[in-house]
Amino acid sequence: MKVEFHGEARLENLGSVREFVAGACRQAGADSSFCFDLKSAVDEACTNIILHGYREREPGSLDVCFEEDAERMVVTITDRGRSFAPGEIPAPDLSSPWRERAAGGLGWHLIRKMVDEVEYQADGEKGNRLILVKRRNSGGRL
Amino acid sequence: MEIEVTHREQVTIVAIVGSVDGLTAGELSQSFREQVRGGYVRIVGDWSGVEYTSSAGLRALLETVKEARQRGGDLRLAAVQPDVLRVLELAGFTGILKLFPDIEAAVGSFRS
Repeated sequence: MKVEFHGEARLENLGSVREFVAGACRQAGADSSFCFDLKSAVDEACTNIILHGYREREPGSLDVCFEEDAERMVVTITDRGRSFAPGEIPAPDLSSPWRERAAGGLGWHLIRKMVDEVEYQADGEKGNRLILVKRRNSGGRL
Repeated sequence: MEIEVTHREQVTIVAIVGSVDGLTAGELSQSFREQVRGGYVRIVGDWSGVEYTSSAGLRALLETVKEARQRGGDLRLAAVQPDVLRVLELAGFTGILKLFPDIEAAVGSFRS
């Protein structure tokens, strides 16, 4: 199965993106916990694109493609905003006391926890592509 | 997302229904801020109706718990649903926020 969502990079569209991903995921036979994780990762990624990729620009396109096979589900998010380097985003310190706790980096931390693979391809012409992969056998929660 | 604020004993209950995401978290932050700056620093977040929260929602919680504690109060959460609890756990928030199974227990915790 392959289904696509095409929209503008606006915060108002986040709910529709989450519904699209969760719906496709359920249709592909995954349980609700698995689908929650996948839609969370996609929501965090889209929020970053909207707030940072298109910062001080007119909202451009935000396209989400969902594909699945027997082993995994793959969500590809394509945008035409600024590219960035996901590998350079520092992991948050989750053990610091509340006074020193910072919220920065939590979105990327959640993405890395919610899916199994994250790949990013920056391309000024074809658009930036963020590929999130969640394997079907990774749905169980510890 | 809908927000309803009620006062019980000397505790302010902020009940949320819906999703806390990049679109709605600002409104939640604003609502919490109004309570804390108005002197209502003992706050229970009724999370029974929250079906989703992103890191934007976590940011609102972190800001509020810091400000409430600095003023001698606290923000405590009641009835967090399993999916949202997982987000709190993965983000390391269960180590800094006090969680209770229901509103009664959360409100009662401020008495002791």
